[in-house]
Amino acid sequence: MKKITVVIMLLLLLSLSILRAEQEKTEVHLWHQMEPSNRKVLQKLIKEFEARNPHIKLVVLHKGTEDIRTGYQAAAAFTGGGPELVYGPMDQVGSFEVMKLEDSEKSIIAPLEDLYSPEFFAKFQTAGKVWYKGHIYQLADRLGNHLALVYNKKLFREAGLERPPETIQELLEFGQKLTKDRDGDGNIDQWGLVWNYTEPFWYIPFFTGYGGNVFDEEQNPTLNTEAAVKAYELIGLMRDEYKIIPQECDYNIADNSFNQGNAAMIINGDWSWTKYIESPQVEFGLTRIPKVEETGLWCSPFVSAKGYSINSSVKGKVLEATKKVLRFLTSEEAQRRFTKEVKSTPSLKSLADDPVVKNDPVLKMSARQIEVGRLMPITPEMRAVWDAMRPALQSYIAGSMSAKEAANFQQKQAKKKIAEMYAGTKKEGEKKDHTTVETIFVIIGIALGLFVTYLFIKKLILALFFRKKDSFEIRNSRFAVIMATPAAIIIFGVVVYPFFYNLIISLSNMNMTNVNSWDIVGLSQYIRVFSEKIFYSVLFKTIVWTVVNVFFHVTIGVFLAVLLNRHLPGKTLFRVLLLLPWAVPAYITALTWRGMFMAETGAINLILTNLGLPALQWLSQPVTAFIAAMITNIWLGFPFMMVIALGALQSISDDIYEAAEMDGASAWQKFRHVTIPHIKPVMVPAITLGTVWTFNKITIIWLVTNGGQPADKSHILVSYVYRAAFNLYRYGYAAAFSMIIFIILVIFSVTVMRKSGATQKVT
Amino acid sequence: MRHKTKPFHYIIIYAIVLFFVAISVYPVLRVITISLRPGDNLLTRSLRIIPEDATFENYIKLFTNEPFLLWVRNSVLVTITVTIIGVVLASMAGYAFSRHKFPGRKLGLHSLLITQMFPATMLLLPLYIMISKLGLINSFLGLIIMYSATALPFCIWLMKGYYDTIPPSLEEAANVDGASKFTAFYKVILPLAAPALVIAALFSFMTAWNEYIIAAQVLWYEDMFTIPLGLKSFQGNMTTEWGLYAAGAIVISIPVVALFLFLSKWLVSGLTLGSVKE
Repeated sequence: MKKITVVIMLLLLLSLSILRAEQEKTEVHLWHQMEPSNRKVLQKLIKEFEARNPHIKLVVLHKGTEDIRTGYQAAAAFTGGGPELVYGPMDQVGSFEVMKLEDSEKSIIAPLEDLYSPEFFAKFQTAGKVWYKGHIYQLADRLGNHLALVYNKKLFREAGLERPPETIQELLEFGQKLTKDRDGDGNIDQWGLVWNYTEPFWYIPFFTGYGGNVFDEEQNPTLNTEAAVKAYELIGLMRDEYKIIPQECDYNIADNSFNQGNAAMIINGDWSWTKYIESPQVEFGLTRIPKVEETGLWCSPFVSAKGYSINSSVKGKVLEATKKVLRFLTSEEAQRRFTKEVKSTPSLKSLADDPVVKNDPVLKMSARQIEVGRLMPITPEMRAVWDAMRPALQSYIAGSMSAKEAANFQQKQAKKKIAEMYAGTKKEGEKKDHTTVETIFVIIGIALGLFVTYLFIKKLILALFFRKKDSFEIRNSRFAVIMATPAAIIIFGVVVYPFFYNLIISLSNMNMTNVNSWDIVGLSQYIRVFSEKIFYSVLFKTIVWTVVNVFFHVTIGVFLAVLLNRHLPGKTLFRVLLLLPWAVPAYITALTWRGMFMAETGAINLILTNLGLPALQWLSQPVTAFIAAMITNIWLGFPFMMVIALGALQSISDDIYEAAEMDGASAWQKFRHVTIPHIKPVMVPAITLGTVWTFNKITIIWLVTNGGQPADKSHILVSYVYRAAFNLYRYGYAAAFSMIIFIILVIFSVTVMRKSGATQKVT
Repeated sequence: MRHKTKPFHYIIIYAIVLFFVAISVYPVLRVITISLRPGDNLLTRSLRIIPEDATFENYIKLFTNEPFLLWVRNSVLVTITVTIIGVVLASMAGYAFSRHKFPGRKLGLHSLLITQMFPATMLLLPLYIMISKLGLINSFLGLIIMYSATALPFCIWLMKGYYDTIPPSLEEAANVDGASKFTAFYKVILPLAAPALVIAALFSFMTAWNEYIIAAQVLWYEDMFTIPLGLKSFQGNMTTEWGLYAAGAIVISIPVVALFLFLSKWLVSGLTLGSVKE
C-alpha cells in the first residue's frame, strides 16, 4: 500500500518535471520590486522586447523589497538556483555580495564588468554603476528613490504664502500658518507638515542637515553625535513648540492626509509623487527639504540607484539572453519610457539633457534635490543601523527617551547589532578546521533521526506483516495503521527535513558570510539566547498574549455557539455574519483595525470620547499597542472556536438536557455538567492547537504594531526573533531561538494532553 | 432547552448576538468602504460606510485589467484538492486514532501536535530548499502537499475528538450484523460525524484559500498565482493599490461564506444523531 503511494507520487513528480522541460524558448526570470505604477510600464516594455526577440521569454515576478532579498538569497545561495535577473535598490547589493555560492568564493551576483564592454558602461553616470568591493554588481536604470518636500500650492495660497520654505526657520513659521482647525471643533484638521515618523529613512535628512554622518571612514557607526541630538530636538520642536506635525504619524496617515488635502506639506519619496500630481485635492509643488541655518547645510536625504544584477550561476545560452534583457531594460528607450510615465531620473548620461528631463519641472526639481543628496551606503551593516535607529526614533516620538538618550541608544544598539551580525565569522586567514567536530555532530543528528524513524517503522512493520494468528489486537492494528498511514506520510514527509535542518543549523555559527561554509559550534547559540535578559521579558509578553487571546477566543466562541445552537429565528444569518472575521483575509482587516486604533482619525477613540472616556494614543505606547494587537487577534480568532463549538454541540442529544431539566438543573448547571463534558473531547485539541498557533502567530502583531512599534516593545517571541535575528541573517541564532520556542511548546502541550486525557481512547 | 425559550430571554439573546454581530461586521464594512472609494486611500476621517463618491471601479478593474479569473481557477483547483485530501485522510486517520489500539498510536497523536509547534516563519528557508530539491517549484502539487500537511494535523485531532463522543456500541452492532470494519466505519460512523466533517472541510478550505507565504516561495509565474498571492501583488513597498486590494479581499471572502452556508445544513444535524441514540 505504502509502496504504491510512493510510486504514484514519484510518477506524478516525473510527469510534472517533463512538462516543464519541454520548452523551446530561453526563459529569463526577473524578480523586481517595482511599485504598481512602474509595473505597467515594465509590462509594455516586456511585450516589445519579446516581439523583437521571439526566442526569449521574459518572466517577471513582483515581490516586496524584503521578500526579494530573502527569496533571492534562499534560491541563489542555498539551492544554487533563482532568477537570472534581480532588480532592486542598490543597498541590496551589499547583502548579496556577502553571500557566496556553494564551494566557491564567488558571490551570488555576478561582477558585471566581465560581461560587458567598457564602452557600454561609459554611457552611464557614475552613480548608475554600483561599485562595491572592487566590482560593478548592479547596473541602474534610474537614480533617486529619494525624499523631497512636497507641498500643496492651494493650501499655501489659502494661508497667504507664495513660495515653499527654504530654511528650517521658515519651515516652522510657514508650518504654523498652515496648521489649522478648519471647522472650529477644537481639533486640528489641517497639519502644516507630515511624514512617516516610524522609519529612520525620514530622519536621515534632519540628521545630515545638522552635519551628521552614519559611518566614519572605518565604517563604524557615528550615531550619537551632536547632529543626531539636534535632529531629534528639531522633531520635538515641531511637535511640542510649534505644533505643526501630528502626535502620531505612520506612512499611511501621512500619505492619506496629504493626498486628501489635510496636510500642507509632506516629506516623501519620488515613488509617491505621481499619485499626488493626480490627486484632485492637491496642487502639486516640489522643493528641496530646507536648509539648516546653523550649519549652512541642506537636509540631505539618501539617494540610491535602482537597477539590475545578474545571478552568477547563469551560464551559456541563458546568460547571453539575460545580458540582452539587461541591456534592453537599461537602454535609452526603456529609461525614457519610465521617465515619461513615472518621473524617474534616468541613469544614462545621454538622457540628462534630454527634453523629457529638461522640460519637466518635477524632474528638474527632483534633480536639484539629488544634487544635495547622499549616496545610500551599500554595506550590510546599514541594516543593523536601521534596526538600531528605528526604536530610538520611535521612543523619542513617544516621549519615552530624550534626544540625548535616543542618540546614545542608537549608537550602542548599532554597534551591538553589527557585532551580532558577524558573530561566528572567521577572521581573515583563519582556516576552516572544524570538519571533524562538524561531521561528528551531523552524524549524531542523522543517527538520532534515523533511530527514531526506525523505532516507528519497526512497530508499523511488526503490526503489518508479522501477524500472530487470530490475534484480534493485531488484526485491529492492521486496519488502523492502513487508515492512518496516508495522512502520516504527507504530514511527516513535509516536516521531517525542515525540522532536522533547523536542528543542525541551531548548533552552527551560520550567518550571512558563511551560508555554505558554516561550522558546528555546539550549544553556544542556545546559551546566547538564554543569557539575554530580553528573552525573558518577551517570553512573558508572549504568555500574556497567548493566554488572553485563547481565553477570549474560547469563551466568546463557546458562548455564541451555545446561544446559536437553540431555536432562534435568523440564526443562519447571524452565524454567517459572525463568521466574517475568519472569512475575510486577515491582512486587510488587521490593517483596518490598525486604522481604527489611530489616535486622531480612528473609530475607537471616537467611540471612547462619545462615551465620555478619554481618548488614547493607542499605537504609540507599548502597552496600549500590545492591547490593540490582542483585541484585533481576538476578533480574528473567535469565529473559529465558535464553529468548532457549534460542531461539538451537535453530539449532545436533546434527551440529555431534558433529563437534566427533569432533575431540576439550572441553566448554569446544565452547561457545567452536560455541555462542557460533552464538548470537551472536541474542544481540548482545538484549544491546545489554538494555543500553539497563537503563541507563534507573527502576522497580526506585526501588522497592527507595524513590526513591533513603538520601539520594538510590542513583540512576542516569533516577531522578536524575526526582527532581531532573521532580518540580520543570524541563521544559527534564529534557528536556536526557534528550537527553544518549539521546546517550550512541546512541554506545555504534553502536560495539557496528559492532564486532559485527550489521547485516551474511549472504547 | 432548545424548544422553550421565554420571550424575555429572546430579547436578551438577540441583544447579545446583535452586539457581537455588530463587532464582527463593522471592520468588514470598513473594508467594503475602501473598496468603493476611488483612489488608493486606506484611511479617511469620514466614518461613512458608503463614501460620497462611491464607485464600483475597483471591482470592474479587478475582473478586467487583472488576470483575476485565472487566479480564481488556480485557487479553486488547489483548494478543492486540499479540502478533499483533508477530509478523506483525516476522517480515516482520526477514526484509527479514536477506535483502535495500535503500536505508535500515542506517539503518532503527540507528534501530530508537535508538528504544529515549530514557528512556521523559521521553517520557510528549509521548506524552500526541500521544495526546490524535489523539483516542486512552480507546481501546484508542491502547494497541495504543503497545504495538506498544514491542515491535516488539526483535522485528524478534530475527527478523533468527535468520534470519541460517538458510542462504540454502534459499530459493534454493525459488526455483529456481519459488516466489515470499513463498512461499519463508512456506513455507520461517518454519517454521524457530519458536523466534524463540515469543520474539517471548512478548515482545510481556509488553510489553502487564504495562504500566500508558501505560495510566494513556490510560484514564479504570475499566471500560476492563487488569489491571495495575486492580491499581494497589488502591494508595493510604499504604495499599495488599496482599492483593488479591498475589492479583491471582499470577493475572495464570498466563496467562504457560500461554502459555510452550504455546509451549515450538516452542522445542525443533531437530529440524525438523536435518532440513533438509544
